[in-house]
Parts: sequence; structure tokens; C-alpha cells
Amino acid sequence: MLSKNLIQELTRIIGKENIRTDEEDLICYSYDATNQKFLPDAVVFPKNADEISLILKLANKEGFPVVPRGAGSGFSGGSLPVEGGVVVSLERMNKILTIDTDNLIAEVEPGVVTGEFQWAVEDLGLFYPPDPSSLKFCTIGGNVAECAGGPRAVKYGVTKDYVLGLEIVLPTGEIINTGAQTLKGVVGYDLTRLMVGSEGTLGIVTKIILKLLPLPEATKTMFAIFTDMRDAAETVSKIISSKIIPSTLEFMDRDSIKCVEDYSYIGLPYNVDALLLIEVDGDKELVENQAEAIKKICLDNGAKEIRIAVDKKEAKKLWQLRRAISPALAKLKPNKINEDIVVPRSKIQDAIIGVREIAKKHNLINANFGHAGDGNIHVNIMIDKSDKAEFLRAEKAIREIFELVLGFGGTISGEHGIGISKMPYIGMELSRSAIDVMKKIKQVLDPNEILNPGKIFPRI
Amino acid sequence: MKILEQLSQEINKCVLCGTCRSVCPTFGVINREPASARGKVALCSAFLNKEIGLSDGFIKQMNECVQCMACMTACPNDVNVPDIILAARAKIAKEKGLPFAKSFILDNILNSERLMPAVMKFASKLQGLLFKGVPEESGLHRRFHLPLIGEKRLVPPLAERFFLEGRKLTEAKGGNGEAEKRRKNLSPIRPFADSPIRIGFFAGCLINYMLPHIGEACLKVLEKAGASVIVPLNQHCCGMPALGMGDVKTAKSLAIKNLEAFEQYELDYITTACATCGDGLKRRFKELLSDEGEDVRKRVESFADKVRDITELLVNELRIQNSEFNRKSKIVNSKSEIVTYHDPCHLRRGQDIADGPREIIEISGAKLKEMRHPCRCCGLGGTFNITNYDFSMAINRSKAEDIKSTGADIVATACPGCMIQIKDGLHHLGINTKVVHVVELLADNIIKQ
Ligand SMILES: Cc1cc2nc3c(=O)[nH]c(=O)nc-3n(C[C@H](O)[C@H](O)[C@H](O)COP(=O)(O)OP(=O)(O)OC[C@H]3O[C@@H](n4cnc5c(N)ncnc54)[C@H](O)[C@@H]3O)c2cc1C
Ligand code: SF4
Ligand code: SF4
Repeated sequence: MLSKNLIQELTRIIGKENIRTDEEDLICYSYDATNQKFLPDAVVFPKNADEISLILKLANKEGFPVVPRGAGSGFSGGSLPVEGGVVVSLERMNKILTIDTDNLIAEVEPGVVTGEFQWAVEDLGLFYPPDPSSLKFCTIGGNVAECAGGPRAVKYGVTKDYVLGLEIVLPTGEIINTGAQTLKGVVGYDLTRLMVGSEGTLGIVTKIILKLLPLPEATKTMFAIFTDMRDAAETVSKIISSKIIPSTLEFMDRDSIKCVEDYSYIGLPYNVDALLLIEVDGDKELVENQAEAIKKICLDNGAKEIRIAVDKKEAKKLWQLRRAISPALAKLKPNKINEDIVVPRSKIQDAIIGVREIAKKHNLINANFGHAGDGNIHVNIMIDKSDKAEFLRAEKAIREIFELVLGFGGTISGEHGIGISKMPYIGMELSRSAIDVMKKIKQVLDPNEILNPGKIFPRI
Repeated sequence: MKILEQLSQEINKCVLCGTCRSVCPTFGVINREPASARGKVALCSAFLNKEIGLSDGFIKQMNECVQCMACMTACPNDVNVPDIILAARAKIAKEKGLPFAKSFILDNILNSERLMPAVMKFASKLQGLLFKGVPEESGLHRRFHLPLIGEKRLVPPLAERFFLEGRKLTEAKGGNGEAEKRRKNLSPIRPFADSPIRIGFFAGCLINYMLPHIGEACLKVLEKAGASVIVPLNQHCCGMPALGMGDVKTAKSLAIKNLEAFEQYELDYITTACATCGDGLKRRFKELLSDEGEDVRKRVESFADKVRDITELLVNELRIQNSEFNRKSKIVNSKSEIVTYHDPCHLRRGQDIADGPREIIEISGAKLKEMRHPCRCCGLGGTFNITNYDFSMAINRSKAEDIKSTGADIVATACPGCMIQIKDGLHHLGINTKVVHVVELLADNIIKQ
């Protein structure tokens, strides 16, 4: 609980309109897409870095937690106020400040919705590739904090590959700028990279300078249907080794497809085991050739059918279907343990087979989909939380899956971050000393542990 | 009608993913979580878990929804957020009572066969005193402070002769008057009962009191398409405004009265040109009367099965042709007007009708030019527009701008509510695009022929 005095102080900094302490408002800022709830004591809606700086200074003085929040679409609980305190919602800081068509860079506030930014630059013939499936509602600030990626990562990389510079309010209230407005820049340590993916624990991002690309002339979207998942995995390897890099190469297994088929009906004729959703982009001619080549590889490797979207509308439908999968899995069972493991591309087939075996062994429902092109697979174990025994089995299975993944030289989270969801497992991947270095960095920047406490590192 | 407690399973289907933030128009304006569909579901869930009561904050959030159904369409788990919100409103109305003005109007006026027209008549006579006309537009601005009507509101004038009144006069003159006479030339006179296609026309309040010419246009087009139309004179408000405010009792009573009004005739179809009424007639009546016993259930089902939106009826059932209605195709070198189309929420999402109205535009000989977001809500939201006028117009703003950027001569839609709202929004931005109901495009061609 914050004292009345503290609320008054906060109100003075931010204005009456921009602080909320009513129960109803607190409830609306207590959750994110992990479907877990922790009530904050207050929510504030700052307009700029200066206001945030004052709030953080006050927090250091008074010792209350501060938790930055974008759209609350996170999958690891990063924006949850697990220790109460003040949620700093960046919903009001949602302006695209500049789109510089000469230098192909843009400057945005953190609350800008990723998809809206993409459409704005596309109207000018430019391209911002990072495309998390949540792009229509997640914020760029949240993307930076989680280093979000998406289907296009296979060809274009992830958020960190586009962040040139940041304005950040440090946990102690100082405002700093990192990086530069240029593509190169080696002055001092690369604080930009340190901040990207720091899950709102090292500073609150208030401005972001992003790199843009020219919009590809053409794209072609297609999907291939497989009756055996192994053929699909084999096809992925073949496409990559043929030196064609598609702009997306998405994989969906049987159970994932089942959940969305009635959401956006595409009519699948076979006993489908896996789908690949593939997109190529570039010059018109190149795109035609690549699409043909990919079609051939699919058919040669056991695809039962391949369909090419005739127009943008059809392509959009396919993507809608793909993006709906994750939330729609709730149709299988009410609760989802959602992992986003990554393995070297050549190990995808083994990884999926391994995951399926582990799930079967523990008698669990499992659906897998994701970015096959870069080896990032969303492994979902569907459970009913009220069934305690099932939950324990799921925890065991998760551990085994992580062991499997690390054994292949992979990583336990490709894009969703650690937050609170994966906190217990961080030690499986990182060594004691690596964790120590990170904790030291955190301690230097946030000596009073006020910024987003209780995340990433288990307190032992 | 399910009460909030019965919807707990529906509420639990929500996984709090946030997808609906991208489409919810109230969130689009306020940009804070409580205004979003997800926020509202979370609040209902908290209410059912007894974490909060029927507080002012809760009531405010439940009121700030335009019932556009966009959330539900976008939701990967098909969570019916608008119905959850309606159930919450019903709960609020039941426990807290409706504000006095609202409940008086709903109970005593809307629900009465005699009073509602009488009050409206009185108002239409008085409106010259209360409002001043806006010269370049067919609209009125208020002169004095009036409850429920905002300062800047452009109100369409109440019609001098209401639609149902006009019908009564033609019937009193014997048969269907003008329309009957015209039809004589096309086909032998036959009593309504022997007609091959018998249609009951449901006007709805906005067409009845404010835009009767749309009703007339519908009758004209239906008859041209070979159907016989009857307009039961004892029909009522569809009850959706009452339901929207949480007054289930009034909505039920209106549903029954309308059922009775149309059951007097042997009808093949019941049609309306109002998207919200249509959605109500097709879907809500069944829900409202679901616990009134087997007999009522059967009656309301057979009623609902006959309901078609006017565009659906014309295109799918009567299969109107280009040649019947396209005057311009006969004139060489005529330039077709450019028409853009706004999808009413309760037609597109409520009734899954998107193609019919567009086909009608094509049939009329006009050229359709799509706006960027035709399915975005106009912001009316039934009585939301009255209680939250500025909010509602803020939602409308992007619609008005979208219409403007098409450069179209005309914006057509298929709901009188949307028409009034869009006209108001365009007026605020000083845009002169004409606003019509798609059926008017057809009717215009008949006169000119
Ligand atoms: C249906 C669905 C699909 C998804 N698909 C993908 C996907 O394909 N790829 C992917 O990578 N992720 C995906 N996600 C996860 C999520 O959308 C991303 O992690 C996204 O980046 C979170 O953005 P947000 O604005 O919602 O941030 P929030 O959830 O609000 O916050 C996430 C983290 O960022 C911090 N944060 C937010 N803003 C700031 C700021 N300005 N400064 C500092 N810290 C800040 C928060 O403290 C928190 O730790 C998906 C989520 C959903 C619900
Ligand atoms: S209502 Fe649907 S779209 Fe909105 S948060 Fe809940 S599950 Fe997601
Ligand atoms: S019906 Fe429309 S306004 Fe209401 S919550 Fe859903 S999207 Fe928002």
C-alpha cells in the first residue's frame, strides 16, 4: 500500500488525470497475456521522460516498486506488478515522432503500436520487418524490452537488429541517450544492446530510433500441407540448404491447426499433420522464381498439396489464421504453459519428435507451432490448472523439454523473455558466473531494486 | 436472456491476450486498458469473483461500449464480450435501477402504442422552437439546453408525417394507395393473401420518426421487385435501445408486441432497413423470450426465421437485376456517381452481411469505391451516442476522415442510425458528402425512369 502522502506526491508530478488508484483501474492493470494477476497500488500515465524521471527518483527515496507496461501482451509476466507498487503505463506516449525517408530511420515513442508503425512506414514505401504475432496490439516499447521477433526473423532478424538508439530513464532517474542516429557507432560500450531485451528491469525506454528498409516490391504467400510432420521438418531443412531464404517459414502442427480451423476456415482436405506457411519477398521476378523453386522442394519432400495465395486478401487470411493460434489453443484446455524454445535449424525435426514423446510420456496435451525458419518453436502444454497432478506432470515435462533443447545447443526462450514464467529455469541455460555478471549490472543501475523487482533472477 | 452469473464460463474463455485492443473503438479513443474489451471482461470477472461491487467505476466502464461486436469477431476464443456487457448492464439496471429520466421514457413512452407517437408528434411540432435549422444540411441544432441532447449535436428533424402515419392514411384511402395503383399496371390486382411473395415491413423508430423517406423507398423497391408488402400499423420499437440500457423487461414486452403485430398476417418474409432492428429481430427476440415457454419459443423462432435485412431480401431472395434498376445503363455516356459504403456493425458482424449492400450499389449503376476501414464502427452505439455524445463523435472522427479521403460523391450504408451519425460527423468536419441508405440508390432510379 502506498501512503496517502505518496499518492499526493505522485499526483503532483503527473497531474490528477494521469494517476489512478480506483480498484477498477488497478484490476485492469493487474494482468498480461500470461493470464495471471497481481494488483498494483497505483497506475500512472506519464507523457514524457521528465515525468518518469521524477517518479523513479521518488521511488528510490521512498522505496516502492515501479513496473513499466506497454500493451500487457507479454507472455512471461514482465509487466506484472508482482510486488505491488506503481505501474507506469506507456499508453499515452504513443506518437510516431519522425519518419526520415532520406536516411531510412524513424523515431518513435514507446507506446506506439507495432502494426500501426508498420502501416505508417509502408505508406511511404518503407519497411519495418519485426512482426510478432501480436503486432496489431503490442507496443514497440514492449518489443524493445522483450527483443520481440516474428516470422520474418528468418530473413530479417528481430527487434534488436533495428534499434539504433534509445532514450532511457535509468532506475535511479537519470535520463540517458544510447546509440546514435546512424547505422554505425562504436563510442563507448553498446548500452543499446544491453537495454534491448532487458525486460523493463534496467530502465524505462522513452524514445526509440529505428532502422527502416525499403519495402520489397512483391511478396508471395503459400502454404504446404503435409500428412507427416517429419516431411514438413525435412522440407524446412531442404529449403534453407537450397540457399533460398524465405521471408517467413512458419510451422504448425496438427493440434494447432485444429484450434483455428473454424476461426478462419481454409478447408483442409486431408488428415493433416503439419502445415508450412511460407512467404518470399523481393523483386517481382525473383519472387516468382523463388516461389516456384519452393513449391518444387515441398512437393519433392512429401507435401500433399501446396496452395499459393492469389491476392493480398487471401494472404491476409492465412496470416490471421496463423496469428490466432496462440490464444486459440485455450480450446484444447483452459490453461497453457507456453514455451518458445529455439534449436539449430537442422535439429527441428528431432526437437519436435522429442517434445511429442515427452508430452506423451507424461500424458499431456501438446501443440507446437512457430518459426521453423529460425528454429524457434512455440511448445505449448495445455493443462487445467485446477488439476494439481497434471500441473506437476507438466512441470516435469517442461524441465525435460528444456534439457532436450539445451542438449541440441538451443536456448529456452527465443522471444518471450524470462519474466516470472521462466525464472525457475534460467539456471539450466546460464552458468552461475554469467548470472552473477547480470545481477551485478542490475545492482549498479538499480541499487535500491525498485524497477520491476522480482523478475528474471530467482531470489535465493 | 442469460444473466451475468450464467455467463461466467464465457468470461473464463477470455485468456487476456489483448487481441481485442486492436479493434475496440472505445479503447481507440481513450487508449487506456479499462476502455478496452479485455478490460471490461476482466472487470466482469472481478465482479463475479466479488472483488468489486457495482461501483461507479464499474458502471462507467460497462456504459462505455458501443456494442459494435468488433472484439468478438477478432477474438481467437470467440468470447462474446458485447453480450457479457449487456448482461452487466441488465444487472446494474436491476440492482441500481435506471436513472429516472431513462426509466420514465422506457417504461411509459417507448413501451406504449399511443404515447410514443403522441410524444414524438408533440416534439415534432415543438422542434422549431427548440432547434434551429442548419441551412446547408438537413439537420437541426438545438437552441436551448435539453436533457440528453448535447450542445453540438446535429439532429435530423422529426418528420412532419411519420412513416407509420403515412401508411395509415394510404390504407384508409383503401388498399395500398399509390403503390397499389402502380402495381396494377405491372400485374393483375390480387389480394395480399394471394400474392406470391408476401412481405411484412418493420420500420423501426428512426425510419418511422425521422427518416420516413427510407421506408417509402423500401416499399417502392420491394414492389418493383414483384413483392407485396404490408406494414402492420401496431408495430413497436424493436426494443434494442431498452436492452442496451439494461432494461430487459421493456425489451421483452416490446418483443412480444411486435411478434403479435406480425403474426396477424401470413408472411413469407419480414424485412427491415435498419441493421440494429434486424439484428434484434433475428437474434435478440429469441434470446429475450427464451424462458417464456415452449409455445412462445416456437412462435418467436418462426418469426425470426422469416426476418431478412432489406439488402439480403432484395439480392438473395428477390434476386433483383441490374436491368430493373439501372437507369444509367440506358443512357449512353452517362457518368456514374462514386459511392463508398460503410458497413453497419449490426449488419456486417451482427448478421454477417457484407456483399448484398455492395451488390445493390453496383446494380444501381453507381461505382463503388471502398474506404480504408469500411467495417469500423461509426460510434453511434444506440443510446451511447446520447449519453456519451462527445465520446461517440470522437470515435466517428476517423470514419468521417476515411470517407473524405475516398473522394466519393455519396456515402451509402444500410442503417438509419449510422446515417444520422455519419451525417453529424461529416457536418462537424465541414464535409459535404451525401449520406444515403443503399435502397435509396435503387428507389431514385425508379422515379427517374
Ligand atoms: C497472441 C500473442 C502473440 C504473440 N506473438 C509473439 C511473437 O510472435 N513474438 C514475440 O516476440 N512475442 C510475441 N508475443 C508476446 C508479446 O506480444 C511481446 O513480448 C511484446 O513485445 C510485448 O509488448 P507489450 O507492449 O505488450 O509489452 P508488455 O507486455 O506490456 O511488457 C513486456 C515487458 O516490457 C517491459 N516494457 C514495456 N514497455 C517498456 C518501456 N517503454 N521501457 C521499458 N520496459 C518496457 C515491461 O516491463 C515488461 O517487462 C505474443 C503475445 C500474444 C498475446
Ligand atoms: S476477449 Fe478475446 S481477444 Fe480479448 S483478451 Fe479475451 S481472449 Fe483475447
Ligand atoms: S462491442 Fe465494440 S465497443 Fe464494446 S467492447 Fe467490443 S469492441 Fe469494444
